Amino acid sequence: MPKIGIYVCHCGLNIAGVVDVKRVVEYAKGLPDVAVARNYTYMCSEPGQRMIQDDIKVHNLERVVIATCSPRMHEETFRRAVAEAGLNPYLLEIVNLREHVSWAHSDEPERATEKAIDLVRMGVARAMLLEPLEKTRVSVERNVLVVGGGIAGMQASLDLADAGLRVYLVEKAQSIGGRMAQLDKTFPTLDCSACILTPKMVDVAKHPNITLLTNSEVTAVKGFVGNYEVSILKKPRYVDEKACVGCELCTKVCPVKVPDEFNEGLSQTRAISIYSPYAVPKVATISPKHCLRLRFNKDVCGKCVEACEAKAIKFDQQPETIQIKVGGVVLAVGSEVFDASRMAELGYGRYKNVVSNIEFERIVNASGPTGGKILCPSNKQVPKNVVFVQCVGSRDKRFHEYCCRVGCMATLKQAILTREHLGKDVNVYVCFNDMRAFGKGYDEFYRRARDLDINFVAGLPSDIRCDAKGGLHFDVYDKGTNKLLELRPDLIVLANGLVPNSDLGKIGELFHVSRSADGFLLEAHPKLRPLESAVGGIFLAGACQGPKDIPDAVAQASGAAAKVVDLLAGGEIELEPLKAVVDKDMCSGCRICESICPFIAIEMKTEKADGEEKLRAEVVEAMCQGCGLCVAACPTSAIKMRHYTDEQVLAQVQAACAGGEAKGGGC
Amino acid sequence: MGLTDLTSMAKPNLESREKILRKLGGRELVNCFQCIKCTSGCTALKLLELKPHEIIKLVNTGFVDELASSDIIWTCVTCLKCLQRCPQRASPYHVIMALRNLAVEREAKVPEGYLKAVSRILEIGLAEGVQDVVTRKMEILNRESLKLPKITYPKESFQAAFMKAMEER
Repeated sequence: MPKIGIYVCHCGLNIAGVVDVKRVVEYAKGLPDVAVARNYTYMCSEPGQRMIQDDIKVHNLERVVIATCSPRMHEETFRRAVAEAGLNPYLLEIVNLREHVSWAHSDEPERATEKAIDLVRMGVARAMLLEPLEKTRVSVERNVLVVGGGIAGMQASLDLADAGLRVYLVEKAQSIGGRMAQLDKTFPTLDCSACILTPKMVDVAKHPNITLLTNSEVTAVKGFVGNYEVSILKKPRYVDEKACVGCELCTKVCPVKVPDEFNEGLSQTRAISIYSPYAVPKVATISPKHCLRLRFNKDVCGKCVEACEAKAIKFDQQPETIQIKVGGVVLAVGSEVFDASRMAELGYGRYKNVVSNIEFERIVNASGPTGGKILCPSNKQVPKNVVFVQCVGSRDKRFHEYCCRVGCMATLKQAILTREHLGKDVNVYVCFNDMRAFGKGYDEFYRRARDLDINFVAGLPSDIRCDAKGGLHFDVYDKGTNKLLELRPDLIVLANGLVPNSDLGKIGELFHVSRSADGFLLEAHPKLRPLESAVGGIFLAGACQGPKDIPDAVAQASGAAAKVVDLLAGGEIELEPLKAVVDKDMCSGCRICESICPFIAIEMKTEKADGEEKLRAEVVEAMCQGCGLCVAACPTSAIKMRHYTDEQVLAQVQAACAGGEAKGGGC
Repeated sequence: MGLTDLTSMAKPNLESREKILRKLGGRELVNCFQCIKCTSGCTALKLLELKPHEIIKLVNTGFVDELASSDIIWTCVTCLKCLQRCPQRASPYHVIMALRNLAVEREAKVPEGYLKAVSRILEIGLAEGVQDVVTRKMEILNRESLKLPKITYPKESFQAAFMKAMEER
């Protein structure tokens, strides 16, 4: 039988504070085939790892069992350590004494120690049956798909393209730019948003390594890390992208008025229009929902055709499907703004002068519906009292429990802009719960707002009401003065939070990326792997992973891009050997495994055996993620999971029961 | 006594706090982050100075005895706005009701209006009897003169049910 070394980690006091590690080690020494058993303060530290490596050499250990934190934390570290000492890294077994024992049973140290002993015995039983495994290598495509052309997607694309990779940037809207293009200024520096964004948009369009696909959506994803096959649907614009010069003559003659999406519906544009003043590509698009000719028949209207000197209007344009092969994917699909009409007490949607923060951005912007003048939407008058209300739809268990992370700062910025635009005669109030100014330069920005005589009211209003003449009024109790303020604002701006994109469910399914409880895409580890999804080769950037401001979104995008470069630069990647394997002689060809595999990793093949053709399942190793569904489902037990074979798992179960008998209790 | 006088020199009593939390079935309904939304909209704030956020904070800090013997808990008009709009799903309403029950258990002074309502319920089965109304023109109106159907009091059925409930206890 193989010689085993057992190492029990204290993890400072994380484990040793509850579990009697010395007792565990004494017990381990008595187990069969154990050559050495030790305990140490931090096994993951350099001296801890060296202790294991020395023992492997001195005692010729053939298996190593480490009782420490979760394998998700340090299994990789310890695998590397044993490999350096010449042992196959898969002959290592991790026993989780922290998450499964000391943290879970901190109030029962005696029983926790017994559980630790049981788990160590089970670990040893499995370790004896572990088999050496080798990693496989596959070549990778040096192309990258970036989904979403907001600031995060653009930053990731530029970084990747500069690193020499070919980038396909897919954007659902008619132009790249995303949310940031709608903003007037950015906090905390009051930089003009468009001034810092538009050069980047142009860079993206001009970069020789970037293929820009606007008005497009990803429809199917196949393959695995390093080798994804992606189908992209390019929806028709009904305008020839190459011919259109962006002169907007067509928009001037088009008779059909439609709400301007870019201005949040506060103004109108036409059925043929250019998305925004700084759209990239600056190409007109016809809305098939509104255009008379596309809705009714071929002979009506056609004014745009007459007006277009470049002859770019193409009513017969068809949707186009583009197939590409990429090695990695960056998801940067962003977020949406909370719909405040769901919070009925605030009157949004019922009272015209209650606007959202994103609407206010358009109102205050020079290219917006009022040309940059702050006016009440109902009567186009300059407001004398402006109130900002915080935490709308966020930090609210009825809607979204998380903090939106941008509301406070966006409000401070908008309050300062209001003061700058309307002068010192206007009263500006901010009703807040907690003012969260956590970023670099953010609290200084808060101070700047107070310097500008903006009234901060520590308290949120319960409801906003409207009198018969259309005047808004509400009461708010101020924590600071212990007084009830009765406010009669002309304009109320709600700090709507960021919420997951409505497409996020679909995107998650397409790429097999899970979502966290808040609805955003889930990272592989909240602290140690925040840029990756749990699926190999798929990375996350920007607000699709959680609400984020611009600096954070850009930082994450650059980080994700670096991760992709790291993955693809070598041209080859290593794959974990923890895959399912089919025993062909046992396979009955029932196809159950094929039907349940979530990663499409099972292929059915016909083979000649004993003179007749038989259907046999085969695992595509590169696509298999080792989830084990097929192993459990196979009616003939023909599929086995490497590193988690039935024998290994059953040995653990038997070891668990054996301990129960010895103590005279049930297992 | 006013709440300020009662709490100004008092010390928190964690036993009473435990008692009220048991009545509320845990911490869920007092899990408040002091956004003041309840007080901003409280119907009983302007005239009666009820501040729901303060009640919850006092309960959390352990000033339960003082609250149970104060007048302020009897000012809530049970409009339930606080409960409906609380972003943390706390409920000043439930807390106030639990405090009222505690006050009754401890035989603290209950405002006369509530006692009257209770005795009316025992007498006639309703919290409020049918009353005549005097208009601005000094006309006296009642259900009969307004040709409205007569209301019967559920006195007997109520009393029977009440006695049964008492016996079961």
